Amino acid sequence: MDRLGARAAVSDGDVVRAVLAGDAERYAELVRRYRDRYARYATRMLGSPDAAEDAVQDAFIRAYDQLAQCREPENFAGWFFLILRNRCFAERRRTKREAVADVSQDELPGPGRADRDAERSETQQLLARGVSELTVEQREVFVLKHVEGKSYDEIAALTGATVASLKMRMHRAYDRLRVYLKERT
Amino acid sequence: MREFHPLVKRWLDGELPADQLDAELAAELAEARALLAAIDRAPVTLAPELEQRVMAAVRKRPATRWHRAWRWIGEAHDLRLRVRPWAVAALAAAAMLVIWLAPARQVRGPAAVAQAPESVYVKFVLYAPGAHQVSVAGTFNGWDTHATPLARAGTQGVWAATLSLPAGQHLYAFVVDGQRWVADPTAPGVDDGFGRRNSILAVTPHGARVS
Repeated sequence: MDRLGARAAVSDGDVVRAVLAGDAERYAELVRRYRDRYARYATRMLGSPDAAEDAVQDAFIRAYDQLAQCREPENFAGWFFLILRNRCFAERRRTKREAVADVSQDELPGPGRADRDAERSETQQLLARGVSELTVEQREVFVLKHVEGKSYDEIAALTGATVASLKMRMHRAYDRLRVYLKERT
Repeated sequence: MREFHPLVKRWLDGELPADQLDAELAAELAEARALLAAIDRAPVTLAPELEQRVMAAVRKRPATRWHRAWRWIGEAHDLRLRVRPWAVAALAAAAMLVIWLAPARQVRGPAAVAQAPESVYVKFVLYAPGAHQVSVAGTFNGWDTHATPLARAGTQGVWAATLSLPAGQHLYAFVVDGQRWVADPTAPGVDDGFGRRNSILAVTPHGARVS
């Protein structure tokens, strides 16, 4: 196996065990592997890339602090997702009202924001605001299914919820979004 | 109508082809199509500095006791222990007394029963009369729920296994019937971050303790 192949073969479990054995610098490998995987999820959950970046950063630091409690080192990605998810839920509940205000501020010109908005159609921005007004549970299932493209079974495995309850949340989300869009178009 | 028709919701879920919807639902279907079309699926890339910020925070953190324990386990140590046969027998007898004569508790924790130069034998005991199988999983076996099964000890629902564990801090939990995680109520615990508790076992060259 060549050097590149050997590197690619290093599993998450190998890295986790190395970090726990004292080689803290190897934690950067996990950060590089997963920093962008859930970035879109966090962005859609929290309403802004800046808040998502803070959440992902905090989740990585918390994961490092609790690494010895990772029961399945080979499944670091799934374990990290749960930490990030908890962080997003807590942040979302804490700043529920401000978060809605933050999304509306997306319309204001600001550094880097104008470019991002220019890439998003009016309908996309309107729907994004509608999604931000869903409950955090409805919002999560909407994001995981329709933004991340996961099936109900995959979402159930990730979150621990049943498929039936996920569908119920999603169907309520559809209705709320329908009303929201109708009232504003 | 403020709610989507159930069939339209099934279409939104990807479970029903559009051609199976009645013509009278065409307007709703158009609304549903517009909703899906408005979803922003553009990838998000976080700032390149994120990795540096995380690692800066990691470097500032003193090694946690878990990290120190793992490091300690991974390093070579010159341990000078004198194990006398009578001490092994006495410890084993004491452990059996702890296990069988202690006040009744639903779950009993691990007990040190003997020492070896670089490890300590620890007996894990669980009272689970209705269980069909029991195992113990922890940092010492990679949280493998199958690696360390407990065996029935007698006919009263007591399960036990003796392990040789290296000195250091260990986190563990019992696994009943392959799926139910049971923390040890006689040992201090720590939240695993997801609403469950892991028990803590401290193993020293002189024995094991759970408090």
